[in-house]
Amino acid sequence: MSRVLRAAVVIALASLVVVLVLAFRRAPTDIKTGTVGRPAAAFTLQQLDGAGTWSSSNAQGKVVVVNFFASWCLPCKEENPALVRVYERYRASDVVFVGVLYQDSRDSGLRYVRDNGVVWPTMSDDDGRVAFSYGVFGIPETFFVGGDGVIAGRHIGPIDEATLIRGIECLRRSPTGGDCLRASAR
Amino acid sequence: MNSATRARLAAPRVVLVMALVAIAVAIVWSARPHAETQAERVDRITAELRCVVCQGLSVKDSPSESARQMRDLVAQRVAEGRSDDQIRDEFRASYGDWVVLAPPLASWSGLVWLVPLAALALGTLVALGRIRPAPAVAREPAPADVAALRERAAREEALDLPVDAR
Repeated sequence: MSRVLRAAVVIALASLVVVLVLAFRRAPTDIKTGTVGRPAAAFTLQQLDGAGTWSSSNAQGKVVVVNFFASWCLPCKEENPALVRVYERYRASDVVFVGVLYQDSRDSGLRYVRDNGVVWPTMSDDDGRVAFSYGVFGIPETFFVGGDGVIAGRHIGPIDEATLIRGIECLRRSPTGGDCLRASAR
Repeated sequence: MNSATRARLAAPRVVLVMALVAIAVAIVWSARPHAETQAERVDRITAELRCVVCQGLSVKDSPSESARQMRDLVAQRVAEGRSDDQIRDEFRASYGDWVVLAPPLASWSGLVWLVPLAALALGTLVALGRIRPAPAVAREPAPADVAALRERAAREEALDLPVDAR
């Protein structure tokens, strides 16, 4: 029995090591939840600047960067210059940027986008249903949607310019992004 | 023992019996089958879902804005006539099995149920193996031992002298 006991202890320790190695290898900005690899939920929301509604069908067949933000979110302010620069870089291309205001008032959101040079379509998710359908945990969160309409990747926390560009380029090369997008999120 | 003494001794017993009966009635009453209201159903479902921005709180118990929005969503789905499984599946589609506080058995998360049971079974086996006394099996002596014993017996017999010769 002592042999069985020794084997059980060895197996338990080996399992623990495997679990820890797998857990620590995972980038905290790239947590896979139910929505990655699935079609992005269609939505239509009121734009913050009062220019009517914006529908996700407007971006059909294009690479879409969906960024969830709020005026009260300091990391959102931190990542905003990178978003602005990358938006300007792809402004004339087929890449679409969308900002979704999360748990914030429209007035505060509108002030935020005007003060921070956010010129891409921004809209208010008043009841949180769009954030729910994307599986948002907290903000900022950025989703990369391929031309096939499938969520190819997500980035939790403030995103930088290089990660944004790599994610977009991966999807421009291949609608799914493949391993390229996963590598960019690390 | 007179009747007054008997009555004085019986009084606490009557109170005890009445209390036990009252408790039994209350348990039966609360456990009686009754139609669940929509609000009760929303409470039950949200108690089984994890608040995604909290530490170990259910959607029902969390005061956060996210949890409030999720409670509203569950209430809407209940009002629409969706089943419990359909509502849970909608949450799982967005947040994975993690969002269900009691993960389904047939998933990786189900290991949280299976691993403790397996560990308990293994521990019981180890404990039983250690506690059980060693079986008392008569050991057959080795041929060399038998030969040595026979030789010793013969030697002692050879030395054995009559009592009066000692």
